[in-house]
Amino acid sequence: MTTPLSSHGQPGPHRSDRLSDYLDNEDLSAAERADIEAHLAECGECRATLAELRAVASIAASLPDAPPTTDLWAGVANRLPATESKVVSFRSPRRFSFTLPQLVAAGLALIVLSGGMVWIARLGDPRATLPAVVAENVPPEASEESLVRASFADSQFDAAVADLERVLAEHRNRLDPDTIRILEENLLSIDQAIEQSRKALRADPANVYLNNHFAASRNRKLALLRRASALALANDTSGS
Amino acid sequence: MRAITATQAAVLLPEIEAPTACRRVSLRSERPERASPTPAGGAALDDYVARAAAGDVRAFEHLYQTHLPRVHSLVRRMAGGRDADELTQDVFVRVWQKLSSFRGDSAFGTWLHRLAVNVVIERFRQDTTRRSRLHDGEEIFETLSAPTRSRDVRMDFEAALETLPDGAREIFVLHDVEGYKHHEIGALLDISSGTSKAQLHRARMMLRRYLK
Repeated sequence: MTTPLSSHGQPGPHRSDRLSDYLDNEDLSAAERADIEAHLAECGECRATLAELRAVASIAASLPDAPPTTDLWAGVANRLPATESKVVSFRSPRRFSFTLPQLVAAGLALIVLSGGMVWIARLGDPRATLPAVVAENVPPEASEESLVRASFADSQFDAAVADLERVLAEHRNRLDPDTIRILEENLLSIDQAIEQSRKALRADPANVYLNNHFAASRNRKLALLRRASALALANDTSGS
Repeated sequence: MRAITATQAAVLLPEIEAPTACRRVSLRSERPERASPTPAGGAALDDYVARAAAGDVRAFEHLYQTHLPRVHSLVRRMAGGRDADELTQDVFVRVWQKLSSFRGDSAFGTWLHRLAVNVVIERFRQDTTRRSRLHDGEEIFETLSAPTRSRDVRMDFEAALETLPDGAREIFVLHDVEGYKHHEIGALLDISSGTSKAQLHRARMMLRRYLK
């Protein structure tokens, strides 16, 4: 099929088979494109076809999405329990990158942390002279069950704590403010644990776990107070 | 049996890591007009995806409701209206099964969309008659009847789509509606780019009649 001659000469055979390629501009060489454009300049029929093809592609790209007219979820949900439930990471492993200032800051933080750990290690200085803490006698039947039966009115424990707190109060000014803050935070946390154990034991006095937890919490408090008192006394001695 | 190529693997199995070059594809699903719905924002959608991947059915239902219109429309158009509901359900069940393989390399909507295309094509592969229609010649287009006209051009267009031969319709939907390139369609349907181009052109030439 050919198109009539134009005033510019013979446009040649129609290029309708190549019009979609021209429209999509996929895998079309520059020479092929130029050839089609030259033909389009002369052939009104191919220009009209190209416009129609463009309209088809344009409508196709703008077709609205629509949901189904019936509810399909039930049919999907019924098939889900048969599938394996899984708990997995849905992202690829995350890559971390740091700027130079961040690395410097991290290095400084590591230095501070290491220094702090050394300081904590020094808390257990054996040179410290502290009031002795006498452990409560455990009834034979309880020890057989590895049970440390708690005594809420443990006068020895209370006396030891009071003694250590008095020492700390007297020498508090020898401790660094940050040390005091950390110490108080830890004591608060331990006191909360003791209080929770105490409440739980009221409801279940024979519970082995609760008794052990209660005793361990009280021992932690004593140990912390002893270390802090030792540090305060050591500072006091070295400073005077 | 022919060995699957890297490009085919990238297109057919979105959950498998593909070479970078293979993943550099331009999909209409990534364009604004067909962007995947994210009504609650990307971060919120990520949260739903993570919860669904961990087995949270309620979170998965949210994803289902969000993406249902998009998936059902894709399936309906590719399948020519037949079994669209059943295929849509198959897609979402497959999504549930494959969620653990979604690693966030692409938008969730893009990943889901590719999975949907794969489910539909897998179904078509089982139909040998349908497969042969990917190579239909010019004569088949001459035998097609025109659908009933209505006042809505888009409704006419959707109806006209259903009258296309299976192969031409699949290629037209993938290319002009969904934005796939011919080499991607070739990899998906295991045909040459030339066949894809020829079928697309025939489909367009037929559909233009319904716009007059």
